[in-house]
Amino acid sequence: MILDLERFQAQAQPRWRDLESLLATLENRPDRRLNPAEGEQLQELYARVAADLNRVTHGALALELRQYLERLVARAYAELYYAPTTRSELWQPRRWLGIFTAFPETFRRQSRYFALAVLITLLGCTFGGLAVHYDPASVDVLLPAEYLRNPDERVHQEEQGKARHRPSTQTEAAFSAQLITHNIQVALLAAALGVTFGIGTALLLFENGVLLGAVAVHYTQRGFGLFMTAWLLPHGVFEIPSILIAGQAGFFLARLLLHRREDRNVRLSMRDWLVLVAGLAMMLVWAGIMEAFFSQHHAPVLPYGFKVAVAAAELVLLTIYLLMIGRKEIVAESGATSENR
Amino acid sequence: MTDTPSSRASTSAELTIATPEGVLFRLPLAGPASRLYAMLLDIVIVLGVVNGVGLLVSWIFAKAPGFGVMVITLAEFAIGFAYSALLEGFWNGQTIGKRAFHLRVIDQTGLPLRIEQAWVRNLMRVFDALPFAYLVGGLSVLSSSLMQRVGDRVAGTLVVRQTPLALPREESWTRQKYNSFMDYPAIAIKLRRAATPELASLIQDALRRRSELASYARREIYRELATYLQSETSPFPDELVERLSDEQYLINASGILVGDQRSSRV
Repeated sequence: MILDLERFQAQAQPRWRDLESLLATLENRPDRRLNPAEGEQLQELYARVAADLNRVTHGALALELRQYLERLVARAYAELYYAPTTRSELWQPRRWLGIFTAFPETFRRQSRYFALAVLITLLGCTFGGLAVHYDPASVDVLLPAEYLRNPDERVHQEEQGKARHRPSTQTEAAFSAQLITHNIQVALLAAALGVTFGIGTALLLFENGVLLGAVAVHYTQRGFGLFMTAWLLPHGVFEIPSILIAGQAGFFLARLLLHRREDRNVRLSMRDWLVLVAGLAMMLVWAGIMEAFFSQHHAPVLPYGFKVAVAAAELVLLTIYLLMIGRKEIVAESGATSENR
Repeated sequence: MTDTPSSRASTSAELTIATPEGVLFRLPLAGPASRLYAMLLDIVIVLGVVNGVGLLVSWIFAKAPGFGVMVITLAEFAIGFAYSALLEGFWNGQTIGKRAFHLRVIDQTGLPLRIEQAWVRNLMRVFDALPFAYLVGGLSVLSSSLMQRVGDRVAGTLVVRQTPLALPREESWTRQKYNSFMDYPAIAIKLRRAATPELASLIQDALRRRSELASYARREIYRELATYLQSETSPFPDELVERLSDEQYLINASGILVGDQRSSRV
């Protein structure tokens, strides 16, 4: 077909201009919703301009014209087929507060990945603990930081209440922010490493487990078990589960990518991943505050029994939160795949 | 038309979308370089904002520097993560840097991206940035036919180029009263069939930029184009061609290619 481009363009140009101005209006509208009349108009213009594009792609030599029409069709297509979340909804506090119930719900729905994360961490703990138990010299390799290797000196200093270990509230505040950002970064990395089919996540969890196991056995061997419990647990009861949840998110992501082809409901699954990451970030904020303001105070100031009791109370609250809050699910359903929600 | 002309596809990466109505359109994908520039601009903006916040906070917390540091650290962290995600989510796939370089993040089905996707692709940056200088992300972009970094693959998004396009203007040379090539309709149709879109737009460009070209360059370019057309695609009779300047030859050819062909329509 030989197409008279000039005449064609002259004839069709009014509807292209119409579509252009309609799109400009719609794209600038905050909620991007159409009223029925606009919808009808858009549908009609879209169909006609798409037909124009088809004629141009078949017969013509005008590159610029084709690109122009392609752009126009692409924009109309996007407006026509996109079902946006309205922004007014997005700004409702109810929607944002929903994260507090969505987090435990998602946690329970994807609990088998959590179990996997726990398993790998426990393997790491066992390895680290056994290594230090049977070969105390391995401490030098397993524990990177000096203060972790020499508990005697550390505990002594801490309990003496030496000046540099009695930080002011000011330094504690700065310290807590550093802890929070660092921990969230590590946790996020664990969750993102899911794209390595979970291998990276598993390695990170295992390493973390080795560290925990080694520290626990090392301190207990030297008779500082209580000190260590009181030192680590007030923040650890939030920090350790949050790393485990990061692992859960990582394995969930790995699983999601592995059967992406069949899974048509990627959007919902992505939301689950995001909810887990957001939830663990909230937990780490609390853990960072506790670690800086509470955990670093030792026996003469804060009795160990009190610290351990606080830790236990935190753990109970966290457990209740993760297991009880939000919509209950029937047991049979919770075992089902992520797609049914 | 089920296949895109391969000559076009070779010049840049594209995404071809087939709509339910059976319309095909193509979106040009953004290359790593423009994305890098956009990111650098965004980084400069984020650093500016962060430092501004830092100054403000340290002024407010002058009496309590520790809390000042705490607020600054947390604010920096939050701004660093949320900047791209929030802007892309609410601003139809564009950050300030992306807008400046005419880039847009979209869903890989051609639709606008969703807020979840904006968050996922930006949180996945921690992986793309590994081990340093976005090595993983860069390799992923280069090895992907859709130029996706890992975050894009996970979120199902891609970055397209959106330079503003205008409707082609009506050109004077397509409206000349008399086109001597029209006297040879068979050859004219042959020219039309043989010419590719690239060739047609090349001729148009050469004519359009007449005044921008130095005279010797113009002569040279017009001569080459006219010789090419005459020898490769449309051998018009010598007695006609000899009477035409190279420029007039191209104007006539261009008239055949995109112009009004009242006289040649069969």
